[in-house]
Amino acid sequence: MLEVRNLTKSLPNGRRLLDGISFTVERGEFVGILGASGAGKTLTLRCLNGLLRPDAGSVFVRDEQDIAHDICKIRKRQLRHMREKIGVIFQGYHLVKRLSALENVLIGRLGQISTLRSILYGFTDDEANQALLALAQVKMDHLAGTRTGSLSGGEMQRVAIARAIFQQPTLLLADEPISNLDPSNAKVIMKLIKPLSEQVPVVGVFHQPDMTAKYCTRVIAIKQGKVIYDGDPKLSDQLLAEIYGEELTVIENKILVKQGESVAS
Amino acid sequence: MTWRDFRPTRYRKYLIPTLAVTLLSLGAARVCGVSLQKLQEGLVTSGLFIARMFPPDWQAFPEMLEPAFDSVVIAFLGTAFGTLMAMTFALLAANTIAAPWIRNTSRFLIGLERSLPELVILLLLVAAFGLGATPAILTLAIGCVGMMGKLLADVIEEIDPVTIESMQSVGANKMQVIIFGVWPQILPSLISFALFRFEVNLRLSVVLGAVGAGGIGYELDYAFNTLAYHRALTALLVILVLVFATERLSRGLREKIKVGDPLK
Repeated sequence: MLEVRNLTKSLPNGRRLLDGISFTVERGEFVGILGASGAGKTLTLRCLNGLLRPDAGSVFVRDEQDIAHDICKIRKRQLRHMREKIGVIFQGYHLVKRLSALENVLIGRLGQISTLRSILYGFTDDEANQALLALAQVKMDHLAGTRTGSLSGGEMQRVAIARAIFQQPTLLLADEPISNLDPSNAKVIMKLIKPLSEQVPVVGVFHQPDMTAKYCTRVIAIKQGKVIYDGDPKLSDQLLAEIYGEELTVIENKILVKQGESVAS
Repeated sequence: MTWRDFRPTRYRKYLIPTLAVTLLSLGAARVCGVSLQKLQEGLVTSGLFIARMFPPDWQAFPEMLEPAFDSVVIAFLGTAFGTLMAMTFALLAANTIAAPWIRNTSRFLIGLERSLPELVILLLLVAAFGLGATPAILTLAIGCVGMMGKLLADVIEEIDPVTIESMQSVGANKMQVIIFGVWPQILPSLISFALFRFEVNLRLSVVLGAVGAGGIGYELDYAFNTLAYHRALTALLVILVLVFATERLSRGLREKIKVGDPLK
């Protein structure tokens, strides 16, 4: 379970980036966060695993003993410990390009092994086998030995999901996981993330309302650092227009620029 | 093409720089008492001198092998230690790894080393360690820090910060980020820089040898000082072969690394 209470973050010049964001996510939910660029989606997500400290507010994540910890307040060491169980799929290509797909998956449990062990021998054969299974789950086991630098965008993102699966997280975050992918690859990735939400709460930031309508169980819309909608993933055209600003026309959950030129889906 | 193409106004932009450089050179030559006549005399003398060195003294050749080997060993050890030192400084000088004040301190030290010529470092170290291979090895090692440290730090900073962030977000500590995220990414550059530095260090080890560090450089110096010119030529030839062979080897290996890396 994840509970976000009243997240607030401002720039030094006083501009509010996050303005009292609150929501809770339970197991079995796949929550998509929507919003225009600069609305505060990614900022919110970065607060959820402590990559960013908000000025005020709390993020409660439960550990294995079911004790809730406030990610925004705990010490660095404890934060590292909590992160061991928070999986993150980042936007674009965050894998170590010169390591193989398998090694990149193994990195998912880096926080769970000691420094001495990572210097001496790294991961065991047993762990490698589990990582291979995770790769098989995303149908990438045939490329386990390939350097990720030579994989395509869709393949890299599948490896990233395998890393998150291998990590055995209690919470999964995804920061625009399909932004750099073509529509068919984006679908594949969404189909892979969806079943994970049955075991752990999944929170993702997206730019594609048609995708969140299809795969998410709930959508949270953020505008100017505030939650303006929290509910059913299928949004009305009116609401979408409100989220993305009035300059846009919306047809069937796809955003069209008013002049009808470029289409963002 | 007409005469107008060669009109003087077209060359006006070269006129002032050319004049300036010529005047500066003439002035400088006057200050240190260099003249064309002296240059000519010198050329003749050095021609005669080289002629006097021939033929090389092949008898001395076997005696040159051990000092030559010493020079290679000094260069190798210097490069090995130097790479380790440069690596440490580079990690501390990369903004993705180290805190700003550590980074600035490390960058400052790297810059400081670059401004010190190897000969000066050797003189300082000889004062501390006495003559011999130890100060030479240390000099070469310290000499690596300036160039390699800077280049490696830049390579580390070029690693996508998201890659490092994604490792931190699974709970990895700094050491683990370095081992799994930084090390594999910089390895090809590290090897390439080290090979290049080995080339440089071999040449330097010859020079340092002449100043008292031992090795083939010392043999050359000694031969000149005892007026054994044939012997000096032998040493010179050995140095030539050594430097040339190292350059070829290092260049070949570096090419190989480049070819073997689809990402570079």
